[in-house]
Amino acid sequence: MKSPAALPFKPCTVSWAALLVLTTISFELGSDASGRMLMAAVLALTLIKGQLVVSHFMGLHRVRLEWRIAMAAYLAAVGGVIALAYSIS
Amino acid sequence: MNAEASVIRTQPLPGDFAIWIFIFAELTVFGVLFAAYAFARSAHVDLFNAAQLGLNRVYGLANTLLLVTSSYFVARATLSIKAGRSTACGHWLAGALGLGACFLAVKLAEFHQDFAQGISLSANLFDMFYLSLTFFHFMHVVMGMVILAVVARKAYAGRYSAADHTGVETGASYWHMVDLVWIILFALVYVIH
Amino acid sequence: MKYQSQAVAKPYFIAALALFVGQIVFGLIAGLQYLDGTFLFPELPFDVAHMSHTNLLIVWLLMAFMGAAYFIVPEEAQTELYSPKLALVTFWVFLTAGALTIAAYLFVPYAHLAAITGNAALPTMGRGYLEQPLPTKIGIVLVALSLLFNVTMTLIKGRKTSINLILVGSLWGLALLFLPAFYFPQDTVKASFGWWWIVHGWVEGDWELILGALLGFILIKMTGVDREIVEKWLYIIVAMTLVSGLIGIGHHYYYTGAPSYWIWLGSIFSALEPLPFILLIAFSFKMLLARRREHPNKAAMLWALGTPIMAFLGAGLWGFMITLAPAQYYMHGTNFTAAHGHLAFFGAYAMVSLAIISYAMPLLRGRIANSAAAQRWEIAGFWIMVLSMLGIALALTGAGIVTVVLQRAADDPMPFMQVQDKERVFFWLRELAGVGFFVGLLVYLRSFFVSGEYEYAGEMKRALAT
Repeated sequence: MKSPAALPFKPCTVSWAALLVLTTISFELGSDASGRMLMAAVLALTLIKGQLVVSHFMGLHRVRLEWRIAMAAYLAAVGGVIALAYSIS
Repeated sequence: MNAEASVIRTQPLPGDFAIWIFIFAELTVFGVLFAAYAFARSAHVDLFNAAQLGLNRVYGLANTLLLVTSSYFVARATLSIKAGRSTACGHWLAGALGLGACFLAVKLAEFHQDFAQGISLSANLFDMFYLSLTFFHFMHVVMGMVILAVVARKAYAGRYSAADHTGVETGASYWHMVDLVWIILFALVYVIH
Repeated sequence: MKYQSQAVAKPYFIAALALFVGQIVFGLIAGLQYLDGTFLFPELPFDVAHMSHTNLLIVWLLMAFMGAAYFIVPEEAQTELYSPKLALVTFWVFLTAGALTIAAYLFVPYAHLAAITGNAALPTMGRGYLEQPLPTKIGIVLVALSLLFNVTMTLIKGRKTSINLILVGSLWGLALLFLPAFYFPQDTVKASFGWWWIVHGWVEGDWELILGALLGFILIKMTGVDREIVEKWLYIIVAMTLVSGLIGIGHHYYYTGAPSYWIWLGSIFSALEPLPFILLIAFSFKMLLARRREHPNKAAMLWALGTPIMAFLGAGLWGFMITLAPAQYYMHGTNFTAAHGHLAFFGAYAMVSLAIISYAMPLLRGRIANSAAAQRWEIAGFWIMVLSMLGIALALTGAGIVTVVLQRAADDPMPFMQVQDKERVFFWLRELAGVGFFVGLLVYLRSFFVSGEYEYAGEMKRALAT
């Protein structure tokens, strides 16, 4: 993890830009006709967005392992349950 | 800033630990709601797909961009106070509050349009979930804004410093949770079909 | 006892225990009437025995909560109670009104009682737990206002701690939530809503906060653990109670004519209602493990640890069994509910009341703890009551299972009274457990009459000798 001074932008700024981009992409992907792959992509992008918020907004990238695992597990669990429910529809 | 390199990955959760218990509890509740939505949908796929078309997805997109940006402002506020700049911290928080207020306004306008269209808790199962989830989230945005307002006032009054700003991190963590929940909610309810 | 005015708690606690005895006597009578419907008929019919049983429960718990407030608020606020005289006058008013009401139930036919107490002007009678005539209900409000005035004035002039803020705040909530008792519309759906605002609002919301405050107080005093730590736990428990319980009220709206979205909202949120009880167990045991002193009142510590466990079983576990809409479809209003109600009311509210009495009574009588002999009686009473109540819950659960299998879920349902007949063995077991409970109560009460205070020197010798 490079120290902030080495990057032209703060990590949280980079994350913010990424979130804006990923949100727009998800929105576009979801606008068109449906398709399992597209929806899976939207879900995956959502989990990535969530992880960005957790790591760089909440600041958990600096925090002890067990908390990072807990939050990652939460995202995985929610994503997994959603994926499961959609797969049986 | 290089001090950060030496404490990588060993710090405790930011802010007061009690708020994190609350955050985990809230995430659990929303997680259960999301799961309920997804499984309810699996039994009524056509209904959900059809009713979902009644949503104005542009409102949802706007709200996501607003909330993500306000979360970014809060992250910047935390960085400011870590550098000891409490007025700057106050400004970033004020900005976040402004965006939060915009979120609420957009959401209210959306609700207004929804009700005019006949969307209600009793209309159908999708509408019930959509209204419950977004209203429940709305209330959390309000609560988050109350917390941020209290923190912002204290920041402007110079009550936080680089050495002592637990309150800022506590309030910030709660707000980020509200943002995180919305990110999932938006994708689940507005987008994925 | 740090402040003289805390002494007003004593009559409240004594009355609470006396009314508790009355409650169980009527409970035993009602339980016997399940098995022999003609028992004491027509002098004391089942409906009168039943409502005396439930009304006495509520009044004794309220007496205990009020006593607890008068004991805790001055100590937490570090100032004398605003008006001990008002507290004593209020006590006599409450006790007299309560006694008169029970006497009225017993000696005046209910319809006539309604006629002579102005029920026609503002109908409030005729509902479970709310059978009281209008004057009694008004009296309850006045008694509550007197309590609120007294403790709030005390709080205002003194130190504000989380414990007394939560306690006084939830006492205000208790009073406000009683107001729907005056709302009795013709529309049975709306009437159902109003009823549950009181009952659910009290026992699955407001009273959980009281429980937390009382337990928190006892644990701070007995373990010496840092107040800040206790307060943090309480905030989380309070938050989880409200998060789950506010919308969780929907689990009473599934089949009462309310909109169907309650099936979802009630199920999801009420499923979370066990969480605060799990947290209460974690809280009390964590405080025990982190204790900095060995308090001589072992009995009180046992009550303080037993309460969250029994509360979790009765309210959390047994409650969860019947809370999800698909399950409740079959179990609604069966003996599953009765099992849950008995175990939850005792485990949560009776036990926390007995816990605060256990902690405070010795202090009110001038000592830090009772003698080891007295405590042995008290502890024996604890175990007999706890095990008996578990027996009651299991017996009623058995009866509930029979109802669900034969009457609710069956393709060819058996008529109600036939099913009740099949459940007789469970009603016998319940009555037996009830007798056991009464014995436990008497053993518990005996402890108050074993004299002497805790003898540190003597107990130390005994401990070292073994």
